[in-house]
Amino acid sequence: MSSDVLLSVKDISILSEDRQCNIVDTISFDVMEGSIHSIIGPNGAGKSTLGYAIMGVYHPCSGKIFFKGKDITDLSITERAKRGITLAWQTPARFDGLSVYDYIGVGVKDKNLIEQRVREALEIVNLDPDIYIKRKVDANLSGGERKRIELASVIAMRPKLVILDEAEAGMDLIVLESFMDIFNKIKELGMTILLITHREDIGMVSDNSTLIWDGKVLANGHFRDIMVLYCQKAGLKKICNRTLFNQFDECIDKIIEEETRENKI
Amino acid sequence: MSERSDSSEILNSLEKYNLDISDYLPSHSGPKLVLNFNKITTVSEVEGIILKGREIENGIIADIVIKEGTVLEDPIHLCFGVNKETGLQEIFPRIIAEDNSSVTLQAHCSFPNAKNLTHKMFGHIYVGKNCKFVYNETHYHGEQNGATVAPVSHVYVGENSYFENNFFLTQGTIGRMKIQIDIYAFKDSIINSNVKAFGKNSLDSIRVRDAVFLEGENARSIIKMKAAAIGGGEVMMFGITEGNAANTTGHVDCTEIVKDRGSRCRAIPLIRATDESCHITHEASLGKVDSAQLNALMARGLDEDEATDLIIKNML
Repeated sequence: MSSDVLLSVKDISILSEDRQCNIVDTISFDVMEGSIHSIIGPNGAGKSTLGYAIMGVYHPCSGKIFFKGKDITDLSITERAKRGITLAWQTPARFDGLSVYDYIGVGVKDKNLIEQRVREALEIVNLDPDIYIKRKVDANLSGGERKRIELASVIAMRPKLVILDEAEAGMDLIVLESFMDIFNKIKELGMTILLITHREDIGMVSDNSTLIWDGKVLANGHFRDIMVLYCQKAGLKKICNRTLFNQFDECIDKIIEEETRENKI
Repeated sequence: MSERSDSSEILNSLEKYNLDISDYLPSHSGPKLVLNFNKITTVSEVEGIILKGREIENGIIADIVIKEGTVLEDPIHLCFGVNKETGLQEIFPRIIAEDNSSVTLQAHCSFPNAKNLTHKMFGHIYVGKNCKFVYNETHYHGEQNGATVAPVSHVYVGENSYFENNFFLTQGTIGRMKIQIDIYAFKDSIINSNVKAFGKNSLDSIRVRDAVFLEGENARSIIKMKAAAIGGGEVMMFGITEGNAANTTGHVDCTEIVKDRGSRCRAIPLIRATDESCHITHEASLGKVDSAQLNALMARGLDEDEATDLIIKNML
């Protein structure tokens, strides 16, 4: 992992549509190049809004966003994509008539590499290219298939920064188990990941985390520390009871028990 | 070349639009009827299909009968073309699909040089019981906006039959186009009607009236109308569904995209239910491309125009 800052978010605020409150309130954090940085927080905390603001879908009313040291706050979605930022949508759009091949290939700059990249990306997300390449990105795909195709399309594009907005939502258990491999593969291909999630088991892959609560940053740091804080803030004793991460679950339990005991003393 | 005989001009015009014309050549064994302006150039029948054409003053009367129990895997080809710049072509097809038959009719209407050319059609299609009937009609009107096309079809779909209509006019210019399709669906029948049209400049005007009358109990239908108007083009889609019998279900879906100054899209869905057990619905969306689709493509590096063009191209 490089020690260079790839993305720097400085004090950005985003107003709600009725302009009555800040959905995102003076948020700051840095994402290091080559890392997986997770944005953690409960539903409605402002995580997706923050992701969309980095992509350029929403524009902040104050603050700045820097990418590779350059101010991109006023750039359009297209201009940001051309500089190497993309986003895998939480609820990806469906398109009448557009083939999976064309959708995944749309972001590949070198047109001679499209077929190779599309096939490779589909294999990474565990979809058989021979079956899926001719299918349409329409309502005939299941939610899980569509999400995997969304992941494949960002992998094929090879951006510098991938924003994954709850990429795990709607995925079956088999795919969830392979998520660590998919994230590692994305990293190996030289991409930095900004992972928006509220699932602790998914967030575990991250190198650094930012905890957001009511539109504000509560803390930046290592995932484990951030999760402890998250548990305390949410009043949860046990948050990870999934078999995949029993070890981590026990660890968290122990920390919370210790802290509770200390408090009693 | 000799195979093409009198039809060569028309077949060449179809080739221009990347259509495989081998099915239309006389050497192809499938059933077909090819017309060059108002002259019948090829008629060929196969077992179970009767194809008769009669020339009249400004066109032809075509009688097509699919005999009871006939199941054809290859489509019946109809090619109504005019290579002239001006003129009037009137087609009166009368099509009967007898009980338990299954066919696809593939019609191509090609007017590649139209400047002041009118094509009119007044067709009747009778589909018997337990049939599967697919009617595909694709139009090519050249690049000079010079065609006026007005097809009117009345379709009667018998008990427990499936009828699919696919009308596409998305390549080249349109000129002036008025389409009227009335489909009467009887007991347990299923109707699937799709219309796609693309108005590309201020001389393109499209009006489509696609109507399904659900007259028999348990009849079901879906009308899907998709259109785009760019460069000042005009599109009006009029989708009608009436539920006039018990347990009928129908839906009208209209999507129209407008781009560029002066372009206009209109949608008028008309739904009616005369039985308390009917369920008739409609959905229409007009205007710019869906923002979620746009954002998704822009996040991969396309600009707004490129993304819009890609969405329209694939939708149509």
